[in-house]
Amino acid sequence: MDGVKKRLSESVQLRLSVALSLAILLVALIASGFAFVSAFEEAHEQQDDTLRQVAILFDRQHMTLQYPQGTTIDGDDEESRLIIQHLGDGIDPSGLTDEVIPLPFPANLAEGLSTVEVAGEAFRVLVRTTANGERIAVAQESDARDNDARESAWRSLLPFLMLFPVLLLVVGDLVRKLFRPIASLSAEIDQRAEQELHPIHEQHLPTEIRPFVVAINRLLARVARSMDNQRRFVADAAHELRSPMTALSLQAERLAATHMSSQTRERLLPLSRGIERGRQLIDQLLSLAAAQSEAARDQSVVSVHEIYRQVLEDLLPLAECKQLDIGVESTQDVHLTFNRMDLFTLVKNLVDNAIRYTPAGGRVDLSVASAPGAVKLLIQDSGPGIPLEEQARVFDPFYRGLGTDEAGSGLGLSIVKAITERTGARVQLSFTDTAQQRGLSVTVWLDSTRT
Amino acid sequence: MRILLVEDDSMIGDAIQRALSDASYAADWVKNGLSGLAALDTHHYDLVLLDLGLPGKDGLDVLATIRERNNPVPLLIITARDSLDDRLRGLDGGADDFLLKPFNMAELLARMRAVLRRKGGNALPVLSNGVVSLDLLSKQATTVELSDIALSSREFALLQALLIRPGAILSRCELEERLYGWGNEVESNAIEFLIHALRRKLGSHVIKNVRGMGWMVSRNA
Repeated sequence: MDGVKKRLSESVQLRLSVALSLAILLVALIASGFAFVSAFEEAHEQQDDTLRQVAILFDRQHMTLQYPQGTTIDGDDEESRLIIQHLGDGIDPSGLTDEVIPLPFPANLAEGLSTVEVAGEAFRVLVRTTANGERIAVAQESDARDNDARESAWRSLLPFLMLFPVLLLVVGDLVRKLFRPIASLSAEIDQRAEQELHPIHEQHLPTEIRPFVVAINRLLARVARSMDNQRRFVADAAHELRSPMTALSLQAERLAATHMSSQTRERLLPLSRGIERGRQLIDQLLSLAAAQSEAARDQSVVSVHEIYRQVLEDLLPLAECKQLDIGVESTQDVHLTFNRMDLFTLVKNLVDNAIRYTPAGGRVDLSVASAPGAVKLLIQDSGPGIPLEEQARVFDPFYRGLGTDEAGSGLGLSIVKAITERTGARVQLSFTDTAQQRGLSVTVWLDSTRT
Repeated sequence: MRILLVEDDSMIGDAIQRALSDASYAADWVKNGLSGLAALDTHHYDLVLLDLGLPGKDGLDVLATIRERNNPVPLLIITARDSLDDRLRGLDGGADDFLLKPFNMAELLARMRAVLRRKGGNALPVLSNGVVSLDLLSKQATTVELSDIALSSREFALLQALLIRPGAILSRCELEERLYGWGNEVESNAIEFLIHALRRKLGSHVIKNVRGMGWMVSRNA
């Protein structure tokens, strides 16, 4: 019960539906009660009128009375029959039966209509004095009359009974239709990705919720601006770091060129490595900022094998250092419409990751296949893989798995995620060797229907 | 050789100037675009190293002014701006190369040599990646271990194709296109046969196979 109350107070749609239904029910009840009563009375009046017409007929045509002698006629129903008699005829000493005509009405019954009880049964009786001065009574059993009247009264309720559910359905449907714009609006907002902060269209919305939507749009604009500022700050900061980093690496290089003891040279090496690592981190930060930027990008038809080749040309020195067997497995190239830089950055980060985390002498395989409506990229390595419980978190910036002492930037998969989210692509991590849960296998589905 | 360095960051400027003099270049260093233009008016330089983010007059404006004055001096942009737009504007504006910060001094010196060579027009008739060099006149190859190895014309063409851009992977199709004319029937394993022959002559590590993609010679050694 509390649940219903809570839902009532929370849902305008439910409240409206319930209130309208109750109102319809109330109106229907009052109207049908009124109709019932008036139809009932109307029927009684008609029946009284019939008694009157019979009395006048009898009087006008100077009919004579002959009471039935024991035998019954077909179609004569004791309950609903009309009885005509002289008022004083039925002085039955017993007075206990209504079977025998004439009935024992009291002789002093007043002129006009009245209800008289005979043998425990109510009769409606009309008493009239004819032109000859005789007093006649036209009577009918009240029960039968009431039955007829009730029947016709019930029949008068039929339209209401039919109308009520129809009205309920119409109201329910109307309310649902009225609230449909809100439902579709929330569905639209629900489907948006994090980056989609464009304003909501307000033209097709009812005026009542338009101010609300306008306010939401203003909020979206503010959020977009602050996100943009933050992104720009990261990009600017990384950019500004480039100059001091350049100065640092140039100085270290000059230092390395001077004569120094082998001990000094040994200590210079980690310094140069640190500088190189800083340089890579700055590059990755800028790459992430670029991947997240909403700026429009050129779309062109790109060959996946061509992208693989460029990535391999870039990363082969790294793979050669570790004596990795790296190569492309698919023999059939696939073309799709995509931004070349995006695809290159996406593949490069995935392959770079694979090379980094695969131990020396391992293997990295790239392949591509076209699936219905999508292009499927597959990058597999023979490294340790990523445990299931970590697979969702590796896309977070600066996340590093346990037990990895690899000097990556921690941004590679975040860049991949930024690009896939922006382009509607999908990434799935699994194991190259499912049985032993080893080796990272990354599948990327790129939407090939996009234009 | 006299070099003009236009760079506003004193640490970077100092480091580059010293490294240039270590490499036996005479380097003049100015810290803004206007001084750079003034220096170009009064002296002859063999090459200009130009930063883009300069105070007062932006590097791209300085470049435009230099080219407006019909000064054909070789010019290399060194910048932290990595947008494609800046790169294109720099190269379209008449820069000979574009180097992104942070960079290694060795790379800067190599790019400078390349620009000077291109501008000088006397490209050496030798292709090399440090492991193997190919004399385009005598059609002979030289490795660390052996020198003046004689090559067949097909072997020479294949090695030349690979050495034009060390580090680039060439597919079988591309190699076939470069080695055989139109309409020539190429046997299915002709390229493998040539590679095998070259490896026997030069050593197996010289030409590398990239599974599923093709062959390459390494970029730098």
